[in-house]
Amino acid sequence: MYLILSSIFFPILAGVFLLIRYRTPLSGKKNADSKALTTLTGCFLIVTAGLVIASLLTAEDGFTLFYLTKTLPIYFRIDSTGTIFSLLAVIVLLCAGFFSFEYMKHEERDNRYYGFYLLIFGVLNALCFAGNLITFYLFFELLTLASMPLVLHNGSREAVMAGLKYLFYSLCGAYAALFGIYFLYRNCDSLTFTTEGALRASAITGHGGFLLVVAFVMLLGFGVKAGMFPMHAWLPTAHPVAPAPASAVLSAVIVKAGVLAIIRVLGMFGRDFLRGTWVQTAWIILTLITVFMGSLLAYREPVLKKRLAYSTVSQLSYILFGLAIMNGTSFAGALCHVLAHGFVKAVLFLCAGAIIYRTGKTRVEEMRGIGKEMPLTMWCFTIASLGLIGIPPTSGFVSKWYLAVGSLESGIPVFDVLGPVILLVSALLTAGYLLPLTIHGFFPGADYDYNMLQKKEPCKLMTVPVLILTILSILVGLFPEIVINLIRMAVTG
Amino acid sequence: MIILVILIPFITGILVPIIPFRKRWHKEVFLETAVVLNSILVWYLLLHHSDSTFLLAHFTGNLNISFRVDGMSMVFAGLVSALWPFATLYAFEYMTKEEHENVFFLFYTLTYGVTLGIALAANLLTMYFFYELLTLVTVPLVMHTLTREAVLASRKYLYYSLGGAAFAFLGLIMVIVYGSTTDFILGGVLDPAKTAGKTDVLLLIYVMAFMGFGVKAAVCPFNSWLPQAGVAPTPVTALLHAVAVVKSGAFAIIRLTYYSFGTDFLKGTWAQDVVMAVVMFTIVYGCSRAVKETHIKRRLAYSTISNLSYILFGVVIMTPLGLAGALTHLVFHAVMKISSFFCAGAIMHQTDRHYVHELNGLGYKMPRVFGIFTISALALMGVPGLAGFVSKWNLAGAAVKSNNPLAWGGIACLLVSALLTAIYMLTIVVRAFFPGKDFDYGTISDICDPNWKMLLPLFIFTVFIILFGVYSQPVVDFFMRVATGAV
Repeated sequence: MYLILSSIFFPILAGVFLLIRYRTPLSGKKNADSKALTTLTGCFLIVTAGLVIASLLTAEDGFTLFYLTKTLPIYFRIDSTGTIFSLLAVIVLLCAGFFSFEYMKHEERDNRYYGFYLLIFGVLNALCFAGNLITFYLFFELLTLASMPLVLHNGSREAVMAGLKYLFYSLCGAYAALFGIYFLYRNCDSLTFTTEGALRASAITGHGGFLLVVAFVMLLGFGVKAGMFPMHAWLPTAHPVAPAPASAVLSAVIVKAGVLAIIRVLGMFGRDFLRGTWVQTAWIILTLITVFMGSLLAYREPVLKKRLAYSTVSQLSYILFGLAIMNGTSFAGALCHVLAHGFVKAVLFLCAGAIIYRTGKTRVEEMRGIGKEMPLTMWCFTIASLGLIGIPPTSGFVSKWYLAVGSLESGIPVFDVLGPVILLVSALLTAGYLLPLTIHGFFPGADYDYNMLQKKEPCKLMTVPVLILTILSILVGLFPEIVINLIRMAVTG
Repeated sequence: MIILVILIPFITGILVPIIPFRKRWHKEVFLETAVVLNSILVWYLLLHHSDSTFLLAHFTGNLNISFRVDGMSMVFAGLVSALWPFATLYAFEYMTKEEHENVFFLFYTLTYGVTLGIALAANLLTMYFFYELLTLVTVPLVMHTLTREAVLASRKYLYYSLGGAAFAFLGLIMVIVYGSTTDFILGGVLDPAKTAGKTDVLLLIYVMAFMGFGVKAAVCPFNSWLPQAGVAPTPVTALLHAVAVVKSGAFAIIRLTYYSFGTDFLKGTWAQDVVMAVVMFTIVYGCSRAVKETHIKRRLAYSTISNLSYILFGVVIMTPLGLAGALTHLVFHAVMKISSFFCAGAIMHQTDRHYVHELNGLGYKMPRVFGIFTISALALMGVPGLAGFVSKWNLAGAAVKSNNPLAWGGIACLLVSALLTAIYMLTIVVRAFFPGKDFDYGTISDICDPNWKMLLPLFIFTVFIILFGVYSQPVVDFFMRVATGAV
């Protein structure tokens, strides 16, 4: 109990402490105590990570913190699905956190950034450890509120608008989900998470049709956070304006909160209840549209970070597609892709950040010869790209394999074949929008002026986190058994 | 004793202009002591109430002016008397910048007595009497600044309220004619023998009376007086136009629906559908107007319009759960809205800025006020862990359980409204804390947080917002007992 609680509340309190203690004076743009601030943040991050790992290892029992009202407990519990998301969150937040110590040197008001960064860490831990829908919803809203300051960090008009857009889309989704929670509450015995469905039999026979509508509204609502069509538009606006390490966290971890939410909701309604209904069909159609559309938009986007954000839209719907198929294999593929995409997308965004930090270049066509200037960064970028495309030894291959096999096994008319086809087309587009960077980066062409070439490799504080994440993404691809076993546990509950 | 709590504010108020106070703080101490004493008396009365009725005057037949403490009066009188001392304290500081404060405090304190009169009334006639009186004593408060705008606003307020009361009067007549008594009895007093065959007429009159009392509760289309009345000094807008006056309207509707006509008579009829549709529309309408409005106080006034209809939505579900939800929101919204209004007042008092676009960067200069404002904004949106979530949960829970498809639509309205609430409240917060890259902090260098008289009420309200959010069970249980008639 105490480990879980401290892994949630320690980073939150630490974040609040940083926000208050290291307030940036209004006149000066920079905090005088930058060194102390980063050291302290580093310690806080490591301690938090330690706490999370410790609570995952000890696997404490679930406990109720207190009751919001008589029938609404705030309840925490560690289960295997939560463990997977929690692992991802810890690793990415730790790496991106250290990356930001260097990156944030060229941004203002770093205390606000670190403060909210730690807040997000705590809230994410709480989301992964939440044991019922109300607890989850509480921290889901807090996650939106805590992550908004990162989006509008640089304070430009564009960033503020993007932050508000992010906020309103997310809240819209959260309220749609809340609509569903109201009805679930009346039709379930308790809101504690299960994998078998918690609806009362009498409710299903009574007004099953209406409950399907409720389920669909909830999927759409939580789908906003996961960037599912038609509520995806906030994502390519909001993610790129944040500082690069924050974009990495947003794209790799925070959007996964939407995925986790949908997994939980599916469990509450029960896959048997939804399988074969119009909800499943409509949902598969939406995910496939998103997969294709996201890749296509990424392919056309000239600004690197925006391109990566569109890619997130597309890749998240791979995961959602796997969930929508609703069988064990595709579910395993979806969870596997959660990890694979998490690591890979973090690497890609951090590399983009390193490029911006060292050269100030944001558009893809400016990046000719970048591989000669920053070879290590671009190698990582290349490996991560291959992972996202799904070329065998890398991580994406395994997850896409399971997704495709699961889809073919499912026997859903039309979509069992159409799904894998669209996934493959999208993989082709992924290659189309990521590989040009590598190609032009390492092979700038005959007319490239090698005399102008400067080594611009960033310092170790930036390269080491990127390297770690890259290695992890390869490991997920090379030793999928470990991951798959963990996921098996999640599937069987 | 029951008449005493109504009389003390009257006497105190009238004494304010008469007694020649030598120093201003003498007057402050006098007023604050009287108000606090009265509040203590009210709470004593509520906690040690007996079921007996205090008869003040008898007219003819079953018409009389009498007072009694029942569950509903406990909720409303308790709420009003808890908030009044804080609002008075806040008003002392706020009124330093306004003129003729004696007149202000005279009517401000009178209103306390009148509102308690509404809360403690034992029958429809008594409540109606104080209801009319409430209009009359609050008009001078709206007119306070005597600018052309204020005079127009108060005239509009007067006409709207009196007009509404006239419609409500129809309801009173019907209850006198077709009811067995005019006393408030949970479940209604209509006599089935008399009403036979006249159901539709009675339902029509109910809808008219609902809309009549609804004028004070700012039900669309009778809401336009409320934002205009925002020209009054902030203590008035905050306490009267977010709690006392407008909630008297909601309170009167609860009395009319649950204690006079009775839910058995109304439930499932076209009348219920009509009023529910009106209320649902108002929920969304108020919020949308709030989003459009750029004057801070008017924006909050539109927000009040929407939130009052939350309460009425609970009322028109016409089940005990619905009433309990309505009461929860009646109390919780009072705390949240008075907190945000006082923040707005503090901003206007300290900076003389009245429009949202003038608030850039102020969050760094008035961190306490804007911190509290942020919390009240989140509470109004219904973020879990704060008061607003609990009341919305209860309302929505009641709507789900009522098995009325229209009420299910109402849940959607509540959520749309929550989203709009986020838009109109959080844009203020974002402006205050994220003024933009090249904002010049020099322009706001001489602004700071207000003194303790303004901050203390704000802190206390914030504590309650959080307390109700995480631990509301005793309060909600009490409302449930009120709604089922156990108190």
